[in-house]
Amino acid sequence: MDIFMIFILPAVIMLALALLIGLGLSYMDMKLTVVRDPKIEETLKLLSGANCGGCGYPGCSAYAQALAEGKADLSACNPTSKANKDSIAVLLGLASSGEETVAVVHCSGGNKCKDKYQYQGYGDCKSAQLLADGVKACAVGCMELGTCASSCKYNAISLKQTDGYAFVDHDKCTSCGACLSACPKKLLSRIPKSAKVYLACSNSCSGKDVAAICKAGCISCGKCEKSCNFDAVKLVAGLPVFDYTKCTACMACAKVCPRRVIFTK
Amino acid sequence: MDYIKEIITIVLAALFTNNIVLNRSLGICPFLGVSKKLNSALGMGFAVIFVVTLSTLITYILYLYLLVPFQLEYLQIIMFILIIASMVQVIEIVFKRFVPTLYNSMGVYLPLITTNCVILATAQDSIGWGYDLFQVLLNSFFIGAGFLLALILMSGVRERIEKSDIPKPFRGFPIALLTAGLISMAFIAIGTLVFF
Repeated sequence: MDIFMIFILPAVIMLALALLIGLGLSYMDMKLTVVRDPKIEETLKLLSGANCGGCGYPGCSAYAQALAEGKADLSACNPTSKANKDSIAVLLGLASSGEETVAVVHCSGGNKCKDKYQYQGYGDCKSAQLLADGVKACAVGCMELGTCASSCKYNAISLKQTDGYAFVDHDKCTSCGACLSACPKKLLSRIPKSAKVYLACSNSCSGKDVAAICKAGCISCGKCEKSCNFDAVKLVAGLPVFDYTKCTACMACAKVCPRRVIFTK
Repeated sequence: MDYIKEIITIVLAALFTNNIVLNRSLGICPFLGVSKKLNSALGMGFAVIFVVTLSTLITYILYLYLLVPFQLEYLQIIMFILIIASMVQVIEIVFKRFVPTLYNSMGVYLPLITTNCVILATAQDSIGWGYDLFQVLLNSFFIGAGFLLALILMSGVRERIEKSDIPKPFRGFPIALLTAGLISMAFIAIGTLVFF
C-alpha cells in the first residue's frame, strides 16, 4: 500500500463526490427554485429568525409574507431589533416601524372588590372562571389565582397579596403576548412602552353598580375627559380610552380621578 | 423457499419486531417532534420512506463499487452522511417546488431527517447484514414504513391526549415519552411471536 493508495485516493474520491453533489444541488436549485417576491426574502433576512410564533404566524417566513401583504403589523414581533424594524418599514413602505409595547392588567380591584365566594380548589383563574363566572363580584375582576403569572416565561407578572390583583413589571415584559391569551377574563392588553398612563379597570357598568361592588372601579364620572387639555381621553362605553398619539403625560387625568383608577407607569 | 422466508422475515422485522423507532429506539427526535398532528405525521412518514429508500440504494451501490474495491470501508460513515444530507436537500427543493402546502406544514422538520439516525442505521444495516440489492431495497422501504406506522400510532394517541386532563407536571413532552414507552412495550411483545 503506497502513499497514493492510503492518502491521496480517498481524498480524491471524497472530493470528487462532494463536488459532484454540490454541482448537482446548485443546478437543481437554479432550475426548480420557487421565485418569491424578493422583498419577502429581504424582510425575512432582517427579521430575527427566532421562529417563536409570538406574532401569531407559523414562523418568520409566514410573518414576512403577511407583512409584505399588509396583513400584519411590525409591533407584533418582539425579538427583532428596532434598527431592523426600521429597515423593514422602509423596505416595505410601511407607515410605522411598530411601537414597542408592554402588557398591562386593566384591573386594580383585588382586595377592594367584593368576592362572590371563597375559592378553594384545583387550578387557577381558568378553573375559577368556570365556576359561576369567577370569584369576584365584578364580572371582569382580577381573581389573582395566577394563570397569567405562570404563563409568563420572563417572570414579569407579580401577584402581590397586599393588593389582590396581578401586576406586570415593565422592565421584564417583552410583550410576547402569552399572558394576553392566558387570562380568562381578557384583562391584559398591550400599550405602547412610551405611554405613561393607563386605565386599571375594565368594568363598563354604570357608576352606581360598580361602586356597590368595588372600591377601586371606574364610575364613569368623566372628570378625566374634562381635565385633559390635549383631547387625549374620551369616554367610550363608560370607560376612558386614551389616544397615546395626543397624550403628553401631564398626568392631569390621573390626579383628578376620584377613584384613583388611572395608573401611571 | 428459503429466499422467500428471508424476504418475509425482513419485511416483518422492519415493520413489527425490529421497528426502528419502537424497538431499536432510533429516530426519536422527529418521532416526538412531528407526531402531534396526523397530517404532518403522514407527510413526515412518506418523506422518510422516500429518503431512506433512495439514500440506501445510492449508498449501497457506492459502497460496493467505490469503497470496497479500493479497501476504503472506513470512509463509509462520512460518505453515507454526505449522500443522505444531499438527498434531503433534494427533497426540500422538490417539495418546495411541487407540493408547497406540504412544505409549509412540515418545513422545519425536513432537516431533522438528515440528522435522523434512522437513515444512517438503515444504510449501515445493508452492509452489516450482507443483503443483496433487492433485499436492501425491501429492507429500507419497510424500515421507512415501520417509521410511518409508529408515527401514525403515536399521533393518533397524542391527538386524543391533548383533550384529556393531564396533571400539570406531565403536560407536553413527559406524557409523550410515557406514551412512546408504553407503545414500545407492546411492540416488544410482538417480537415474542413465532412464525416459522
